Parts: sequence; structure tokens; C-alpha cells
Amino acid sequence: MSTNKEYLQNEREKEWRVELRKKIANKERTAKERVRMNEMDPFERIKYQNREVNLGLTAEQAQAEAARCLDCPNPTCMEGCPVSINIPKFVKYIEAGQFLDAAKALKETSALPAVCGRVCPQEKQCESTCFYTQKMKKDPVAIGYLERFAADYERESGFMSIPEVAPSNGIKIAAIGSGPASLSFAGDMIKLGYDVTVFEALHEIGGVLKYGIPEFRLPNKIVDVELNNLKKMGVKFVNNFIVGKTVSFDDLKAEGFEAFFVASGAGLPRFMGIPGENYNGILSSNEYLTRVNLMNAASDEFDTPVIRGKNVAVIGGGNTAMDSVRTAKRLGAERAMIIYRRSRAEMPARVEEVHHAEEEGIEFINLANPIEYFADEKGKVNRMRVQRMGLGEPDASGRRRPIVLEGSDFDIPVDLVIVAVGVSPNPLIPSALSDLKVSKWGTIEVGEETMQSSIPQLFAGGDIVRGGATVILAMGDGRKAAENMHEYLQSKHQ
Amino acid sequence: MANISTRFFGLDLQSPIIAGSSSMTGHAEQVLKLAEAGAGAVVLKSIFEEEIFAELQEELSMRSGLNSDPEYLDYFDYVIKEDTLRKYLKLISEVKAKTTVPIVASINCVSSSEWTLFARKIEEAGADALELNMFITPSDPAKSNDSSENFYLETIQKVLHVVKIPVTVKISHYFSNLAGMVQKLAATGVAGIVVFNRFYNPDVDIESESVVVADVLSTSHDYLLPLKWTGILSGIVDVDLAGTSGIHTSETAIKFLLAGASAVQIASVIYPSGASVITKMNREISDWMDKKGYKTIDEFKGKLSQKTSSAQAWERTQFMKYFGEKAFK
Repeated sequence: MSTNKEYLQNEREKEWRVELRKKIANKERTAKERVRMNEMDPFERIKYQNREVNLGLTAEQAQAEAARCLDCPNPTCMEGCPVSINIPKFVKYIEAGQFLDAAKALKETSALPAVCGRVCPQEKQCESTCFYTQKMKKDPVAIGYLERFAADYERESGFMSIPEVAPSNGIKIAAIGSGPASLSFAGDMIKLGYDVTVFEALHEIGGVLKYGIPEFRLPNKIVDVELNNLKKMGVKFVNNFIVGKTVSFDDLKAEGFEAFFVASGAGLPRFMGIPGENYNGILSSNEYLTRVNLMNAASDEFDTPVIRGKNVAVIGGGNTAMDSVRTAKRLGAERAMIIYRRSRAEMPARVEEVHHAEEEGIEFINLANPIEYFADEKGKVNRMRVQRMGLGEPDASGRRRPIVLEGSDFDIPVDLVIVAVGVSPNPLIPSALSDLKVSKWGTIEVGEETMQSSIPQLFAGGDIVRGGATVILAMGDGRKAAENMHEYLQSKHQ
Repeated sequence: MANISTRFFGLDLQSPIIAGSSSMTGHAEQVLKLAEAGAGAVVLKSIFEEEIFAELQEELSMRSGLNSDPEYLDYFDYVIKEDTLRKYLKLISEVKAKTTVPIVASINCVSSSEWTLFARKIEEAGADALELNMFITPSDPAKSNDSSENFYLETIQKVLHVVKIPVTVKISHYFSNLAGMVQKLAATGVAGIVVFNRFYNPDVDIESESVVVADVLSTSHDYLLPLKWTGILSGIVDVDLAGTSGIHTSETAIKFLLAGASAVQIASVIYPSGASVITKMNREISDWMDKKGYKTIDEFKGKLSQKTSSAQAWERTQFMKYFGEKAFK
């Protein structure tokens, strides 16, 4: 779906939009306060692993918030959206009370609106480039909340719209991995008439949306609805299938696949390499979250329950760390701690996640870095040594550099440690293709504009290219790859 | 033929000529060449914590265009260090498998936790000894002498606590009481002290009026300062010493042995001359010993140290009459 200026202008000049703008004076619109998200009570919500913290907006709240939007002639908010959602259009539909049309507008460019409305860091993207933020220095329109509202409304209404799909062109293509980049790619390619198959190594489709993000932030049923939409559009999903192991690329080519989109993610856990890290009770956030989110490890009825610590330390300051520590709290931790070597200001986690974690009683030990773990006679971790850090000059990422404060070591009793210091790109695909150009960090090298790799029929995006990306950036990669693969295949078939 | 074996790093060495840490000793092939040429030991290129930080900066700058998630940027804090260490440990195990000449690892860290972490890993990889390449630039007027000195001593103690392999320390002369500090360092239990560290130095280009990099390699006159302090210290501290900086010939190496060093470390001279300079120096030391009738290095080691010769000869610092009596054009 085109999002060029002319198209946007024409859309904006449609009668209903013009009329809607006239209904309320801009002065009145800008005088309104930003809506507050309805949330489950912190003391109540920490009892449940699978109950969502954010409860969504009511229709009245959503319409009131949508009315704050000025329907700008130059919608700068869209510049902040990697998948170019026509933001004013869907917001104005909400103001007009046409919620199903709002959802339809979202689906013009986004395969996962209900997901993005929940997990996108809007404060760093569309909302950071909103007119209110940039020019008026006021709270931006709550674009993320509205996106979620429209997607949820449509789902609950029972009138799910399925985007139009072009007649089949008979060209078989594959997406490897079923996370946000792949789903976005598959959504665009199926609309263009391709025969799309998504291969997933795990037993569940959804990639990081399922194994990485806990249900209190993104319920699996929400992801499933979006997946079903893609299925209804004709996308085929094959799980428990490892491309490069179960079959080779050559096997897939022999089966008629003409091009591939690799979005196999960054699922290789990293540790810090400090003494004692191999003791029992120290695990990666990947393992912890995957087991809880995907393998029912929070339930004692299953064969492989996860360790439930009383004093749980989570190392790291990103969203994965927040998800882990909040999960630990829900599984009964009395003291659930974030241990992060930089200050609160430098924490990479979404502001909302940090706020929710605080409400839930998570303890933040900032400017602290683990240097050693100790264990009892059975090899089970029981204590960690941490050193205090100060902050030096900003580094090349613009964040102040942590510096060790000598002689500041102290010990913390722990019985479970979750290490969330990042993940490495999945090495499976690069190791299966010797001609594939990869960086020294194991990410696939692609043309920045085309997402095309050193192997012409192979495109890639998401974490396997960026190393680490937000859901929406990965989705943007999927869209870009789809556009360029389409061009590549069309020129090949002409 | 005289026996030129000696002892340093707490190890028996076949020669007092040690290939010091330099860019050459960061490659397995060159390390093996130096060992084959007869080096008593090879000190691998230092891992610098600051170098790891510089690489991190480079990576972060390159990432800005990719809009990487800051969570991923955090990951580089760990992965670059791990990658550097992994390559270094691989170098150790690779060269250890191919030579019996002692392989000494060298590290330069900023924080004591990193010193100890690196030391543990290096020991696990099979290094024969560890040289701590220690230096804090004394350029912060707010920092007391004690705090700097204590950092050295505490770090060494922490490293000694976590490893069993011999640990030596390479120092600079920037101490307000060098002899006192060396005595304190010796008391920690280190297996040797190397004097003195050779630094990167800035220079000034008067044409472009800018600060530039000074010549990196030593000249054959640079040995005088470490020689003087070898002479002074060898008489008063109970620890093996090795001299380094400006040692380009066997003659200079012998001077250090006479002053009380157990060995010397060479690097700059190998760049133009190749590894064969070690073979040549070994032979010439042996010839000199034969000529002088020494069968072992111990027979003349420290013969001219301050303890056994004139204290004034080593400690005199002013020229006094020397230039006063010289004529000029």
C-alpha cells in the first residue's frame, strides 16, 4: 500500500476527514490531557503470569484521545514508524467511531497491529515525532494505545477483516523463522500473490513474540489471532523444521522455492564469562523465558519446571531483563532484583516496562556489576559478588560509560540468577551457506536499502541482520525485503 | 661453551634474552620463530583493556545507522571483550602446543576485577607465566600517591590470589619513591619485576604545529635509565629483575646482567634484524663468558650492582665537573 505524499494528501482531503477536522477547534484539541492506560492493580497482577498488565482503553477513552490528534498536513508521526502505518487515517477513524475501519487502515501496512500496539517502543518512534512532542513540548497522542484499541476492538467484534490478496502468481518463496520480521514479510508477499511458506524451528509459530515476551505483556492468544489472519490470507506455516538441518537450501530449491527471506533471529544466549557462572541456578534469560512462556515451566504439573528462586537477580537493563525479573516475581520471588551496570537513565528497557516493574516491587540495583558467583556444597548458587560502578564520559552510543569504583565490592545472597546481557545471532543459516557473507559478529550482511544478501535470491532482516532490533524495526526489515524480493523476482520472470 | 641459562618468571630459561611483548608476539607464527631462534621465553602481545574499549567505540559508531536496539549495544560491552580474550587464549594454546619455550601472557587492565578475570582465563589456557603490564598515568593532580600505589599492590595481590602460575610485573619509573615501591612490589610475592615499561609517546610536529606520534621503537641509547635502576635495585630488593628498553646488542644485555638483572627483554631490535638477532646475542654472550672464564650467568650476575660496587656510581645524578671541564666550539 502506497504511503507517498500525494496518496496521504488525497486521503486527508476526503470529505469525512475534512468534516471531522472542522468539528473541534485545534485549540480545544490541544487542551485535552493525554489518556492514561487502564492497568491491572500491581498487587493483584503479580499473582498471574498470563494476565495482561495493560487493560486497554474504553471506546470513549480512545475517541477522546483520538480527538487530540490534529490530523497534520505533514504527519511527522509517520516518519517515526518503520512500517509506515497511515497513523492519522486510523486515528481519525477512531475519533469518528469507525473502529473497524481503523483496524483496516492499520492492516494496510502492518501485519501485527495488536502486537505492535503492545510492545513497540512508541516513545522512541511514532510518538517521539508527533507534533505535540516536537513542536508543543506536550505529551504526544497515545498512538500505541490507539493502535492496540483498534486491533483489539476488531478482534473482539468478530468482524476481522482479511486484507485483499492478489491472484496467485505461482512463485514459491520461503521465510525462515516466524518472528515479527518474517510475519511482516509474509503478509506483504502473500498480498502480492506469492506462494509463501514460513519455516519455524520450534514447535510454536511466532518466534520472539511467543518465546521471548511473557503473556503479561503480550498474551499468546493475541499473537495467534494475527497468525490466523496470515493463514487465512494463504500463508503456510511449517513448524519443527530447521532449514539448514532438517533440509538444505538446495533441497528447498529443488522443491521449487525461488527466493528466501532469512529472519532466524538472535537466539544464542550470552553469558559474562565471570567466575562461578556455571553453578546451578544461573541461567540465561533465553532459557528462563522460553521455558516459562513456551514450555509451561511455571506449572508444577509439567515435567520440567523452572527453578523458583526466593532471591532472584536478573543481570541486565533491557526489556528481556524486565520480562525476566517480572516473571520471577510472578513465580514467587520475595526479592526480585535488576542488577545493571549503568544508571536508570541509560537503561535500554521501555519506560513503561520499567514503570510497571517498579510498581510490582522490583528492586533496582543500578551502577552495579557482578564479578563472581559462589555456591553451596551442592554447587547451587547462593551468593554473588558485585562491584559498584561510576559513570564516565559518554561513549559512542551517547550513553555514559560505566567505570569500576575500586574497593566497592559487596555480596548479595541469591538462589537464582538470570543473565540477560544479550544474545548472539543464530549461527545455523550462516553455517549452512558458505557463500553467505556474514559480519564478524555473525550477522548476515545485506544491502541497507534492499535487504539482499551476498546470495542474490536470499534476503534477510531482523535480529539476524541487526543483531538486536525492536519488533517494529524487524517488521520494517520484512516489508523492505518483501518490496525488493518482489522486484528481484519480477525482473527474473520477465 | 658457557651455560647461558638463567631464571626469571620463576622459570628456568635457556637464555637471558626474552622476546618482550610487542606487535610481533601477537601472531603464533612469529612467536614460534622467536622461540626457535633461542629466546629464553616469549612474552605475548599485551591485551589492553583500553584497546577493547576503543574497539567497542568503533563498533558503536558503526551501529548508529542501523538503529540498533540499545539492549543490543549493551551486548557489545561483553562480546568484544569476550572475543578479544577468546582470540588471545587461542594464541596461547596454539603456541604452547608447538614449543617448549615458556610462553608468558601479558595483560594491561584498568580495573582490578578485569585483571583477575583475565588472569584466571590465561592460566586456564596454559600460559607458563603472566606479566602484568601495569601503569597508571600520574596526570591526575587530585589523586594521592597512596591511592595509585595501593592500586598496584592490591591488584597484584588479587591476581596472585586467583592464579598459581608465576606472576611478574612490568613497571614504569613514575614513582615518587621508586626503590621503596619496588620493595613493596617484591614483598607481594611476584616472581620478577621488569624495568621499565616503554610507552607510546606524543611528539610535536613544528611544521603542522600538531601533536603527532613519536617514534615507537627504542634506540640503542635508551637502555641507560633501566640499567641505572637495575644497578640500584638489584642490590636492595630480593626479587628477580629483568631490564628492557634500548637493549639492542649482546654487550648491552651483558651490562644488565652485570648490574644484577637475571634477564633482559628485547623487542625494537627484532623489527629490523629479525629473530636471528636472538641467536646472535646468545652466541655473543656465550663467547664473552668464555673469554672472561664464566661458566654460568650466576658467576657474574650483579657483580657491578650497587650492593657490590660504588653506590655513588649508580646514584649520581648531576654532571658537576663533567661538563664544566669540557670545551666547546
